[in-house]
Amino acid sequence: MSVSGELIAFFGLALVAILGGVLLITLTKVVHMVIALVFTFLSIAGIYLLLSAEFVAIVQILIYSGAITIVMLFGIMLTKHRENDEPAKGGWQRFFLLLAIAGFAVAVYLGIYNLDIPVQPTALHEENTKQIGIELFSKYVIPFEVMSVLLLVALVGAIVLAKKDDEEGDRS
Amino acid sequence: MIKDLLHSAPSLLNFGIYFGLAVLLLFVVLGFVTYGILSERKIMGFMQLRIGPNQIGGKWGLLQTVADVLKLLIKEDTIPKKADRPLYILAPVIAFAPAFMVLATLPFTDAFQFADIGVGLLYYVAISGISTIGIVTAGWASNNKYSLIGGMRAAAQMISYEIPLVMSLVGIVLLTGSLNLNDIVAAQEKVWFIFLQPIAFIIFMIASVAELNRVPFDLPEAESELVAGYHVEYSGFRWAFFMLSEYVYMFAMATLTTVLFLGGWNSIPFLDFIPQAIWFGLKFSAVFYILVWIRVTFPRLRADQLMEFGWKVLLPVALANIFLTAIIKEIVNLF
Repeated sequence: MSVSGELIAFFGLALVAILGGVLLITLTKVVHMVIALVFTFLSIAGIYLLLSAEFVAIVQILIYSGAITIVMLFGIMLTKHRENDEPAKGGWQRFFLLLAIAGFAVAVYLGIYNLDIPVQPTALHEENTKQIGIELFSKYVIPFEVMSVLLLVALVGAIVLAKKDDEEGDRS
Repeated sequence: MIKDLLHSAPSLLNFGIYFGLAVLLLFVVLGFVTYGILSERKIMGFMQLRIGPNQIGGKWGLLQTVADVLKLLIKEDTIPKKADRPLYILAPVIAFAPAFMVLATLPFTDAFQFADIGVGLLYYVAISGISTIGIVTAGWASNNKYSLIGGMRAAAQMISYEIPLVMSLVGIVLLTGSLNLNDIVAAQEKVWFIFLQPIAFIIFMIASVAELNRVPFDLPEAESELVAGYHVEYSGFRWAFFMLSEYVYMFAMATLTTVLFLGGWNSIPFLDFIPQAIWFGLKFSAVFYILVWIRVTFPRLRADQLMEFGWKVLLPVALANIFLTAIIKEIVNLF
């Protein structure tokens, strides 16, 4: 395996993604966690770019690190919450946890190491926005429409819930 | 040239060339910001029957902004005792970095641009959303009620106005059939999109001023209500970063408006002997002037009016515009 720009970029992004994930678990303040999460989202978008899935990468940034994180921050800042989480429990529980994690890591490593993906040349990376659009509106048009109905139901539900709160607030 | 570089093997020389070009662009942008602020103050002065800066650097006040920046550099850097220190330090960086990143895909002329990616238009919208996180973080980390309110307002406003902004551009994407900014400019060789998509242009202008946090949509930093909003606790160079990111976004937004609606570097018929860069500069300056004009002449909106305007007026109009564009395109295709 030779060192190429792609490899360096991949290692950088992977490092940031994993670091963000680790920080997300270890940090104690909720807002710090969300910022760590943003870095994970962004570096995952970078990895998508390396795989020449530019549309997915941009949508990842737009939806996850843009919209969802801001809504999360908004929710955290507007609601009351405990500043710090309670410390983790010590003793035997920790030991077994470590054992379980190590076992999982070994299992995943073996699984990935023995995995053999047949490589065949595809044209998926050329104009993938156009390809996604064509697939979406020809082959997957029914799931796509059902999805939009689902989102509409969620939207209406959110409005109904918010409205109910408002009326109760007026009465009291 | 950039394209050859992108396909060549990585080496220290390549890295050096990239780095040098990026630093060059940064200095060009800094130069723009310096004189952009000066010209904004001059235009504001002219519109309000004042003179504006006229002391430092001759009759025109040419060194006024330079002096201001120097003052910021030697100012004391304060961090409030009760602030959330790591986030307080990180916030200006998160706010500024995306502002510079969006410049990468913007085509200034057909030769002068850094990256030509297929989803250039979405790239701009997505990356500029990250700045909002920086602003919200700054508001939170300052541990100040004014900042927090400013940060919340920024988040609410930017989410609400990003939607009509993107929706207004769907009409252009429909007409071009591409999200690539170069293709969009190429499609305007004969007619500019401002004539084909006038509704979209108006929505885009309003939403872009809101995204830029400028008057009349400057609620996140409304100085008469929130002192200075999300950056009230920042001083010195950290504050300068917020200011800088705001003006770099203004540069980027004026460029984007030029590229999307005014035909980019395309010339008016019969005048194509004038170089492309000059055409671009002229259109860019016109958009910049309009942005300043809007700032001087409109009063600030109330927070609830802002939200209502975004969701109940801009969004439905933008959706109707998409519908209308699609129908007209199909009818034209029939004949």
